[in-house]
Amino acid sequence: MFDGLKDKLNDFRKDVEETTEKDSDAAADASDATATDAATGTPAADDAADAAATVDATSGPAEESDTDASAADESDPSTFQRAKAFATGRVIIEEEDLEDPLWNLEMALLESDVEMSVAEEILDTVRETMLGETRKQVETTGELVEEALHDALLDVIAVGQFDFEERIAEADKPVTIVFTGVNGVGKTTSIAKLSEWLADRGYSSVLANGDTYRAGANEQIREHADRLDRKLISHEQGGDPAAVIYDGLEYAKANDVDVVLGDTAGRLHTSDDLMSQLEKIDRVVDPDLTLFVDEAVAGQDAVTRAEEFNEAAEIDGTILTKADADSSGGAAISIAYVTGKPILFLGTGQGYDDIERFDPERLVDRLLGADET
Amino acid sequence: MVLDDLGSSLRGTLDTLQGKSRLSEDDVEEIVKEIQRSLLSADVDVSLVMELSDAIETRALEEEPPGGTTARDHVLKIVYEELVDLVGDSTELPLESQTILLAGLQGSGKTTSAAKMAWWFSKKGLRPAVIQTDTFRPGAYDQAKQMCERAEVEFYGDPDGEDPVQIARDGLEATADADVHIVDTAGRHALEDDLIAEIEAIETAVDPDRSLLVLDAAIGQGAKEQARQFERSIGIEGVVITKLDGTAKGGGALTAVNETDSSIAFLGTGETVQDIERFEPSGFISRLLGMGDLKQLSERVERAMAETGGEDEDWDPEDLLEGSFTLKDMQKQMETMNKMGPLDQVMDMIPGMGGGMMDQLPDDAMDVTQNRMRDFEVAMDSMTDEELENPRIIGQSRVERIVRGSGIEEETVRELLEQHKMMERTISQFQGMGDGDMQRMMKKLEQGGGGGGLGGMMGGGKGPFG
Ligand SMILES: Nc1nc2c(ncn2[C@@H]2O[C@H](COP(=O)(O)OP(=O)(O)OP(=O)(O)O)[C@@H](O)[C@H]2O)c(=O)[nH]1
Ligand SMILES: Nc1nc2c(ncn2[C@@H]2O[C@H](COP(=O)(O)OP(=O)(O)OP(=O)(O)O)[C@@H](O)[C@H]2O)c(=O)[nH]1
Ligand SMILES: [Mg+2]
Ligand SMILES: [Mg+2]
Repeated sequence: MFDGLKDKLNDFRKDVEETTEKDSDAAADASDATATDAATGTPAADDAADAAATVDATSGPAEESDTDASAADESDPSTFQRAKAFATGRVIIEEEDLEDPLWNLEMALLESDVEMSVAEEILDTVRETMLGETRKQVETTGELVEEALHDALLDVIAVGQFDFEERIAEADKPVTIVFTGVNGVGKTTSIAKLSEWLADRGYSSVLANGDTYRAGANEQIREHADRLDRKLISHEQGGDPAAVIYDGLEYAKANDVDVVLGDTAGRLHTSDDLMSQLEKIDRVVDPDLTLFVDEAVAGQDAVTRAEEFNEAAEIDGTILTKADADSSGGAAISIAYVTGKPILFLGTGQGYDDIERFDPERLVDRLLGADET
Repeated sequence: MVLDDLGSSLRGTLDTLQGKSRLSEDDVEEIVKEIQRSLLSADVDVSLVMELSDAIETRALEEEPPGGTTARDHVLKIVYEELVDLVGDSTELPLESQTILLAGLQGSGKTTSAAKMAWWFSKKGLRPAVIQTDTFRPGAYDQAKQMCERAEVEFYGDPDGEDPVQIARDGLEATADADVHIVDTAGRHALEDDLIAEIEAIETAVDPDRSLLVLDAAIGQGAKEQARQFERSIGIEGVVITKLDGTAKGGGALTAVNETDSSIAFLGTGETVQDIERFEPSGFISRLLGMGDLKQLSERVERAMAETGGEDEDWDPEDLLEGSFTLKDMQKQMETMNKMGPLDQVMDMIPGMGGGMMDQLPDDAMDVTQNRMRDFEVAMDSMTDEELENPRIIGQSRVERIVRGSGIEEETVRELLEQHKMMERTISQFQGMGDGDMQRMMKKLEQGGGGGGLGGMMGGGKGPFG
């Protein structure tokens, strides 16, 4: 996952460096040009002549630069600033320099399935950072871009992270976890995986099938429970989902089980009936944790449904499944951004072990890592 | 529904061109940027968006608008042609014996769609059978079996089988009497080499007449790579878009259609076996062209509402969906409709009511309707506030008084009360519903012809206006 974005971010970094380098050249050109103006006695050109003189005196690259003055826009007031900045060895990044690279970055983010409004927020952050701070800094443009991006992405994706295992360890038992999400994203499979993940860490769990609607739902979770040798609480099809999960909780209390994993039927957020049923489950069961499940292959819609599910039954974090099927991973960024809740796990396959803790720092480092090109 | 959000956001963009007769380069650039935005936020592949918008830009700048055409209509036509070119007609599905193989990502809706399609074919008078070859997913056999029971179609599967290829072969043999064989497969994605090899083997054994790629409407940019891989390994003749009852716009399907050089076969709009529709490019086209222009309609409604509301502060159209529906509400509704303009124009803007439906009505239906509405209004003017708020109290003696007061025939007054009751019943069914529920409801109304509302007003031959 995220390989696609990584490539594109590298492109962006190069873009900005190229544009600003070109600008430095242009600035040098401009200073030459204004120097010519000074010679012809244009009143405003005195400063520029100074600047040009400084350039000549202090910096090498000016000598190498193309002396063709036609490339520079002589009437542009920023010419002076550019010339001065160039003289003191700084690079000024201006709005217009960023326009093309930022457009490309926006496309890169969209190509990685970052939702449009989220992508725009990220771009705004990058733009502000780059415009505001470059004037004071002496680093290379590449470093600046990397820093701006790193911060913007990490800001979004690291939101509200907590240590899931610690949370389980510290909570009063039994801990009830309810899984929510749209149809077919991998709720039931993730429950089976998480049950195994918990077992590996010494916690017992019981599965409760709150999906009393879908054809084959009972048989599906039953088979997982049998294979993993877990207790399953289930009712007849058509039963009350809240009651099943509640029974799961009663079972856990009576049998000293640590965690209740409550499944729910997949539902689309456009159905008010099913969303209010979800609210009811949330009210009646009052779970310790609600985990929203969505898939890495989801596109722009990820934002809408995350918002709606969070609204109906407030979530504590997200499990992003099918990360093995998708290299872009923008859904992680979108969902974390709109819910303000952390991505906790990645589903990486259909096996019980195909679940990983989501590590935002590692992810961003991997995205922007210096070792990769 | 699929692509009509796309259509409406495009139309929004194009509205900015309203009134202009020439397009400057800036106009075109602006419009192309907006087109890009709407396509991108509908999940259409980025490079495909660029291709489309380049083509639109070039044509908009180069082609001279035909005389008398506004700039807006000209661009609209270009956008329309480029999109329609891409989407094409719905996948051809002859109503004859055939074998269909379903493929797609995990959880995209294959099993559900298999049962839905079987239901669809059975309604067309063919005898379908579903063969479940998914030996991997827990409960897959039971799920498919139960869905087929709900669809009342033949099913074959082997809960203990381990080889999908063998099950496919056995299934085709066991259901040899059926006309249409629909072969369901386990979910898989492009990067799972072993599973891709498996479906290639299934495809070889089944030798389908067509293979359909089942895609979730919400799929993002990954649609391209997935579609490409499925096309390469089994050849895709059509795309099924599922979960369109949500908010996802289904642009990934455009990408897949482009990538596989195929078309859209079916749309999935819910979890029950009846929630399936054939893709109708003509519907898409007319929506895209603004023939069923909901946006324009709603603006007119809003304007008219604002005018109506100004006179009467305690009337809120929102109440319709909450409290009870009184004669007063009906009165306001009719006033509002009058303010929107001639009825036939208003009708034309309602998707599904324009075009074909208008043609089916008798020529003078509009005039008759409008006259009836006028009579209704006059009759209501002769009612007391109490009667308007609570029509149930209107008995024989009150009817007679209203007839005397208004000069409207008794029969008409009774029709008015009847019409009100019908609308009240319809509206109460809509109360407390979300979009998805509403969609289902609309479909039921279409199928069962539940009457009431605007449709009831129109009468369609047997109502009060017939
Ligand atoms: N490749 C891959 N497949 C997954 C992953 N997680 C789940 N799946 C598959 O996705 C499909 C749907 O998974 P389910 O667990 O049934 O999804 P669900 O959300 O419970 O579905 P409903 O209850 O029908 O809403 C199954 O085929 C799973 O094996 C994952 O991380 N990677
Ligand atoms: N709301 C809605 N749900 C749908 C639609 N089509 C399928 N579903 C639901 O989506 C989920 C997954 O559907 P399945 O038919 O199991 O998907 P699949 O592709 O067979 O899944 P695998 O066999 O695991 O790959 C189920 O909860 C279905 O009820 C649809 O058009 N609308
Ligand atoms: Mg499930
Ligand atoms: Mg299936």
